[in-house]
Amino acid sequence: MSEKNTHGAGPARPASLVALLLGCAMLGATGCDGRSANDGTNINQILLPSDTLLNLACAEVGIGPETCVLADPENPFATVPVPEFDVNNPEGETKFDLADDIPAGPTGAKARFYLWATALARRPSGENQWLTARALHELYDANSDPLIRDQALKAYRSVLDNFFGSVTFFECCGGVSFPGTLNERVADDLYRTEATGYERLVPGDPVNVLSLFGEWGYTYRPANPPNYDDGLVTINRG
Amino acid sequence: MAHANLPKSLGRVVGAIVLVLAATFALAGPAQASAVVTTYKDDNGWQLRVNGEPFYVKGVVWSYTPRGENYTFNLWGESDEHIRNVLDYDFGLLREAGVNAIRSFAMIPPKWVTYIYQEHGIMTVINPLMGRYGATIGGKWVPFTDYSDELTRATLKAETLAIVQAYKDVPGVLMFALGNESNYGLSWSSFEIENLPEGEQNTAKARYLYSLFNEVIVAGKKIAPNHPFSIVNGDIQYIDLIAELVPELDVLGSNVYRGRSFTDLWAQVDEKLDLPVLYFEFGSDAYNAREDREDQLAQASYLKDQWQEMYHKAYGNDEEGNAIGGFVFEWRDEWWKYLQEERLDIHDTNASWSNQAYQFDWVAGQNNMNEEWFGIAALGLPNADGVSAARPRMAYDVLAAIWEIDPYAYKKEAINQHFAGINMDFLELKGEVRALRESTDESRKTLHFTGGELRLEMVMKGEEQAITESGENGVEFSDGQMVFLDFGFAPTERIDGQFSVNILGNVADTEPLEIQYGRRGLPFEVVIAPDGNVRLARAETLTDRERVEIYDFNATYEGDRVDIEAFYHTPRYHWKYEGDFFGLIRETTDIQGMDIWNAKAPSGVEMRGKGALDGLTFLFGPEVYWGANPKWVLKYDFDLGGVEYTFIHSEDVARLDDSATATQATERQSRQTTIYAATDVADGVKLELGGIISATEKVDDQFDRIEGGNVILDEVELRDTLGFKGRLSFDVDTALFGGMAYVATNIGGLVADGGDTLREFGTRLPYSAFGNKEEYEAGLMMTFGDYTLFPRFLYRTNLVDANPSIPAEIGPGGVLFPGLTPRNRDDDPFAVLDNREARAAEIILTYDPTGATPFYAWDNDMREDAGFAYNIGANYTRYPTFTDTYQFFFDEGGTNAPFGAGLPAEDVWMLSSRMVFNPNVNARYIVNAMAGFDQSTGDPTGGTRRFYELDGKMVFNQRHVLEAYFKKDAWGPYDFHRQFNITYPEQLMIDYSILLDHQRDQLRSTQIGLRGLYRSLDENSPDNEFLDGDNDYLAQLHFYLIFRF
Repeated sequence: MSEKNTHGAGPARPASLVALLLGCAMLGATGCDGRSANDGTNINQILLPSDTLLNLACAEVGIGPETCVLADPENPFATVPVPEFDVNNPEGETKFDLADDIPAGPTGAKARFYLWATALARRPSGENQWLTARALHELYDANSDPLIRDQALKAYRSVLDNFFGSVTFFECCGGVSFPGTLNERVADDLYRTEATGYERLVPGDPVNVLSLFGEWGYTYRPANPPNYDDGLVTINRG
Repeated sequence: MAHANLPKSLGRVVGAIVLVLAATFALAGPAQASAVVTTYKDDNGWQLRVNGEPFYVKGVVWSYTPRGENYTFNLWGESDEHIRNVLDYDFGLLREAGVNAIRSFAMIPPKWVTYIYQEHGIMTVINPLMGRYGATIGGKWVPFTDYSDELTRATLKAETLAIVQAYKDVPGVLMFALGNESNYGLSWSSFEIENLPEGEQNTAKARYLYSLFNEVIVAGKKIAPNHPFSIVNGDIQYIDLIAELVPELDVLGSNVYRGRSFTDLWAQVDEKLDLPVLYFEFGSDAYNAREDREDQLAQASYLKDQWQEMYHKAYGNDEEGNAIGGFVFEWRDEWWKYLQEERLDIHDTNASWSNQAYQFDWVAGQNNMNEEWFGIAALGLPNADGVSAARPRMAYDVLAAIWEIDPYAYKKEAINQHFAGINMDFLELKGEVRALRESTDESRKTLHFTGGELRLEMVMKGEEQAITESGENGVEFSDGQMVFLDFGFAPTERIDGQFSVNILGNVADTEPLEIQYGRRGLPFEVVIAPDGNVRLARAETLTDRERVEIYDFNATYEGDRVDIEAFYHTPRYHWKYEGDFFGLIRETTDIQGMDIWNAKAPSGVEMRGKGALDGLTFLFGPEVYWGANPKWVLKYDFDLGGVEYTFIHSEDVARLDDSATATQATERQSRQTTIYAATDVADGVKLELGGIISATEKVDDQFDRIEGGNVILDEVELRDTLGFKGRLSFDVDTALFGGMAYVATNIGGLVADGGDTLREFGTRLPYSAFGNKEEYEAGLMMTFGDYTLFPRFLYRTNLVDANPSIPAEIGPGGVLFPGLTPRNRDDDPFAVLDNREARAAEIILTYDPTGATPFYAWDNDMREDAGFAYNIGANYTRYPTFTDTYQFFFDEGGTNAPFGAGLPAEDVWMLSSRMVFNPNVNARYIVNAMAGFDQSTGDPTGGTRRFYELDGKMVFNQRHVLEAYFKKDAWGPYDFHRQFNITYPEQLMIDYSILLDHQRDQLRSTQIGLRGLYRSLDENSPDNEFLDGDNDYLAQLHFYLIFRF
């Protein structure tokens, strides 16, 4: 050690040492204290919300990279691992398994929102964003809350703005997976009630959806029956 | 005076050289008859006589330490040709000035003592230091020699007499002188002596010192009756004890810094000792601390006055008549004196002590003695023969003029006339012209070019698949050029610094086998994100990025109350020897390692207080060590009641926005406060205690854990930020071995993260910087002569274990079982990583017959001078639990990402050995061998690896350098290889180069070389290299020329 500042009138070494030892012993005694069964809260069983009243944790909750949902005390999934599909473990549990176990219908809508918003906050992806938007759409269908309607529209728009080229995989026809373009899914969800069976987010004539897309900077050419698989969303240039 | 604070290493250097020389030359007979040196006294006073002729000592303290070297530099380990070049250069100048004798701290081998005498007519004082800077006693290094200890006395006596035996008949030996200001170094602790009143303690110790001197002199005279014996006393302290206890003393030798006059010293010695006086050190520095400039005139005028008085006091001038000459301190500046192991290539102007007798620059309350400026010649750059040049100062010319006459041949009046005739104005001008010429050549200009290097390279690389498919066409060729230009600047006497500019030409494509500095010039694809105008992301390739950059920068300001250093990409050391018990400030010396990633750490500013602010240090910067968050650090050292304390507070002000390497995870913004205390609680027993409060910003952060099968949601509390560390080390002295033992503990709350633990003596114990631990450690270093056996043990447990991976489930009725995932250090307040539970045992056997070049010193590869030195180590660590998940930096996302799973429980081990061979001065071989079974530092995929490594370096004739390694099933050479658990079946490298100039230094010489690299591949290698088995190997030939100027 380099030269020290010496205070000649200071206490004698033994007294100074004793004080130091006591201080350090206190630090050690408190710092080394581990955890017992009495510490913390047992969260083994969390009852999922079954109501449809959603308090938005922040203005952008469930939108893009916003992560405030993880700090939302009402979010039952805030500390829950929400596993994504792992190519190295294709048989492992995924977020879809959790989603499947949430009660169907309005009683599970709020829990679904928290699940997908949590997944989105942990891993921003088009798939998680679209499923969050759908959960909000479902909630609006259940509670007709205009705030939820606006939030759902923001979430759908985020799919286009932030994850335009993203796809999700659907399963059909004996377990065969095929990709679906999410921008088209967004358009379908807003344009056609047949897509979800939920109440329309854009009231009035479906043409209003086309106008809304224009406001957002996109053009939607709706899909045609009978399969509704030839819809097209494009980005307006300029 | 100059060596009063040398570390034990110098003592080891000297001690080892003494022993080697004694052993080597004890049996060698004299080449020819040596001189008979005697003292003579009559009514006119004292004379020293050589073969009967009066001999007035016109001497200098001589040493040779080039820039960039320090006290460990050993000229005598160089080739005979180089030694001759050095001696001919130096002693040619000395002879020209009229020098007839030298004193040297380093023991000059007998054949070179004779060479100096026969070729240049200059005699040498043999000066055993007798434990002045520590000694090896009973196989154990003792830093503060206890002259009251019987074994110590016997050991020192035997060593010194061996030296006397070795030199007694060597032509050129003038006399023997013992110690060096040993009366100033009576620092050993002894309860017996400390029970005495304070004023008597040192006197009691001094009695032991002087009685030992007399014992040695009595015995020495029987061996070497033809030479006088002296001591090198600090001034004339304890003169009464000398009179009482050293009656056999022939000459009173003394180091005296009393200014222009030696005042009453002559009379005191005459009255109390009646002996001739010989000054082994005296003089003046040549730096004016008050005016911050070289002051040749002051130095020369002080020396002139001192010599004039010495001539007056010589035989036959009707005064005391006891002056027989002296050795001016010193021949040439030594650039290592300040800090001793740092700033070795900088001529520091730091004044380290105060002496009012030197009025030309003394100011009350300030230091004025500049240790690096005592030379009568300045230290220059190497000349064409590789010999560091000496630029004589005015003092050299003045002394040459003084020494033209012999005081025995002239009376006082003639002497005064001669001194008055010395044309000081002319000699001052001469000295200034020399200095000006030198400054024109190299330094002390506002901005000047100091050198640089040009690197040219040509690379051929190929891989098995491409060569198989395309033959010769599968081999890729590329070339590269790079220039470094180095500049120095000194706009004022208080400010100096340097910087280097790097310029890229082509960049050779050496990846993936080698990742080199200059990657910034490689083609780089950027993605331009959509915005209001760009609706789609698009990619662009940049090829000419950052072709020119400031490579490094360093500047210092020396103030009256504070020294300031700004640094950018220049090496910096940790503070663990300065009270940083928890290792908050990490060492950043691997500049080449950082260059691989174009990392520019360390960068920041350090301010160190002086005077009233002494002990205070303030450090701040964007990356004060490699990987540090932008932060400021305040440190205060103080002493209270005999206990040394250090307080440190470190506060991050932001988070580093990029990885320190390619994939090393960044750390959250945090803070730490530590207090450290150290004291010697008993003789040879040291106690160190420390406390830490860390990461208080994490209080109230939530984390989950499992307890009895239940998932518990918990919160960080204030107690989790606290930690304690203690270490008790004590000397062990048994009949079988000497040595040291220690016990230590380190207890840290969940988030009480510190820094790096100091690793000493090659340990591989699994220390960790993180909290959440209860750790105990013990070790016993046993020294048996040249062998050291050092077993160590570490036990650690966690306060909260790592989280297993348990999937969440939703049961009937919408009941969620939340499950668990391994924690990571971004999403959770803490994680169990390398601080995991562990039981480790380690044993290292070291054989090092030359303790002066410590085997575990960082630069031992360059310094080790033993014929053969080696170690063998074994480490076994049981990790009974798994870890949480490590993270890596995900460059594309600009953020950390967890690996998702932790490392499993495992027992790992390591065997290693390092060997250094120096069969002769023209050859050096260094070999490292290692076998191990260990885990990755991140990705658990692929499991624990068993691997073998062998590497070596051979230097022939100080010109040919061959380096090679072979690794089997080992991780690749870069950190990310181990982080991602990437191994190769075989890795081979051979590099041969020739040093083309006389510098014989790989870092300074122009060099031409060829390097071959080969890696075979398997499924554990990177996918894009292995190509699912389509590619078996990668190979590369790398030709390079580094022209240094």
